[in-house]
Amino acid sequence: MTDTTNERAAAMNEHVERDEQAKPMNVLEPHEWRHKTIVAGREWKNPVGTASGTFQLDACGDYYDVSQMGAICTKGVSPIPWEGNPSPRTAEGPSSMVNAVGLQNPGVDHYLEDELPRLKKLGAMVITNVAGHSDEDYAEVVAKLADSEADMLEINVSCPNVSHGGMSVGTDPMVLSRLITHLRKLTSKPMIVKLSPNVTDIVQIAHAAVDAGADALSLINTLVGMRIDINTGQPIIANRTGGVSGPAIFPIALSFVWRVRQAIPDIPIIGIGGIDSGEKALEYLYAGANAVEVGAAALFDPTAPMRVARELDDLLDSRPELAAKLAKGQTW
Amino acid sequence: MSATAFMPTVTTGTVERQAVRAGRKPGRRTDEIIAASKLSEGIYELVIRDPYVARTAQPAQFVNLYPADATMALPRPFGVAKVEGDDVTLIYQVVGAGTAEFSLLQAGDVIDVLGPLGKPFDTTKPANYVLVGGGLGVPPLLYAAQKLSERNDGSEVTSVFGYRDVRFADDLVAPYADHAHSIVNAQGNVVDLLNDIEGELNNASQPPVILSCGPTPMMKAVAAWASKRGIPAQLSLEARMGCGYGACVACVVDTPNGRLKVCKDGPVFTTEELGWEV
Repeated sequence: MTDTTNERAAAMNEHVERDEQAKPMNVLEPHEWRHKTIVAGREWKNPVGTASGTFQLDACGDYYDVSQMGAICTKGVSPIPWEGNPSPRTAEGPSSMVNAVGLQNPGVDHYLEDELPRLKKLGAMVITNVAGHSDEDYAEVVAKLADSEADMLEINVSCPNVSHGGMSVGTDPMVLSRLITHLRKLTSKPMIVKLSPNVTDIVQIAHAAVDAGADALSLINTLVGMRIDINTGQPIIANRTGGVSGPAIFPIALSFVWRVRQAIPDIPIIGIGGIDSGEKALEYLYAGANAVEVGAAALFDPTAPMRVARELDDLLDSRPELAAKLAKGQTW
Repeated sequence: MSATAFMPTVTTGTVERQAVRAGRKPGRRTDEIIAASKLSEGIYELVIRDPYVARTAQPAQFVNLYPADATMALPRPFGVAKVEGDDVTLIYQVVGAGTAEFSLLQAGDVIDVLGPLGKPFDTTKPANYVLVGGGLGVPPLLYAAQKLSERNDGSEVTSVFGYRDVRFADDLVAPYADHAHSIVNAQGNVVDLLNDIEGELNNASQPPVILSCGPTPMMKAVAAWASKRGIPAQLSLEARMGCGYGACVACVVDTPNGRLKVCKDGPVFTTEELGWEV
């Protein structure tokens, strides 16, 4: 080779190397997780899970290895199959979506035979989200899950889109306390209570859940919202109102996590709301969360939960104190 | 990539290679726009370069397009209208801010994409495939016509298109259709047209199978027409979608077997699956 071609080849190689460096991370390649967390005694391989209502194994499992997530939180599971709300169920808001799915799901018996064993076979850390219209509904699901392979339970007392149960439980400290006290007796599995932001004092509700026996809190569920079609003057969503999620709620949700952490130093918290990057996940950890869940972002890009987890793993490298705290399950 | 994009995405080749290596479907990615043009008032054509969609998309499957303005977070789903080499054609109508943004795109710009998504038409058997489309339900049927015309099993293609006013797709289907018919609103609807050509369908060498896409009232009428005559029909539904890939369960349709996801269980359903028979 002549000098000129050598130079050209060297220049090309340099170009290729620069390209390799510029290339975004491959979130699907095998990865050794460096920063785990512990939530209510359960070790997650990284602090990022999927948020309930945005994960379906048959859809999301096509795009990434579910065992690589810190945890997989399932859609709400009810005692019998629920058909959910009529269509349309969704509308767009500024940097957000409004949804009123209404917890459509095939019921706990189907879940125990189908989705749960498949998730466990794939090696996922599973949080089963529990839904009900009444105390008896929740109790029936929790009792059936008590001996199951589910790693953790998340009690959904904050869905804004069901007529009974859901948010009506999670916005009244007395009703919430009665429910959690009852459920506590039915299971030894770590029990997370998912809180609604649609309250005047989140701290009061958080105390009620913790005092009644919750092992951890997850917050927030969606904020009540709606959109109206200006051609008809009618709400776009058949349920009229729905729950708002997405980047728009990020600063709101972050402040809820921070306030609960300030008030209750020793309860594990899972931060949820508008997370679409490792940086935003990190803000939650600084606000006092032990872990986070990615929700709406997964609906805008199926691989978003994996990407957030990988970005956070890198960001924690340069934050050894925070990483050590998470790894020990230390809350504050 | 647009400076306002809400998440960093990467070019289609990189995403596809990473996904294939991991045994997964490729996630959201950024495609180059090869061409963009206006077909008629409010109706636009966009050609994107996406080798994965080009190689794998089947008729009635759709792709999600994402506005560069990230305040519009939800994807806009569009049926594949044509594939040529690595290039995929989508035809859409401007109905809101998202599609208005798309209408400003030019060759050389980029756009975020996911797909192909959804369950395609079942075209395994040789038949006279009667493509009954209404309005912006026509473009996915153009791709069905393209794919069916490539076969050598005696299948025929009959297009029955209904337009509001401008017959924007007649020229596009012409190269693929054995028999092409169309009608505009002022003249009547596709059911009128089906009545007109019933004799032609009866005389064809292959039994008819209807593949339909369009507004729901139109497809209900088509399903009723077909079921009265014992003609099998597959209906590709339109719906207000959330994620488009089966995760959010927002776009359901009521069926005798419960509420099914349009994006993942469909968009194609048979008359019987929808309970639309007469």
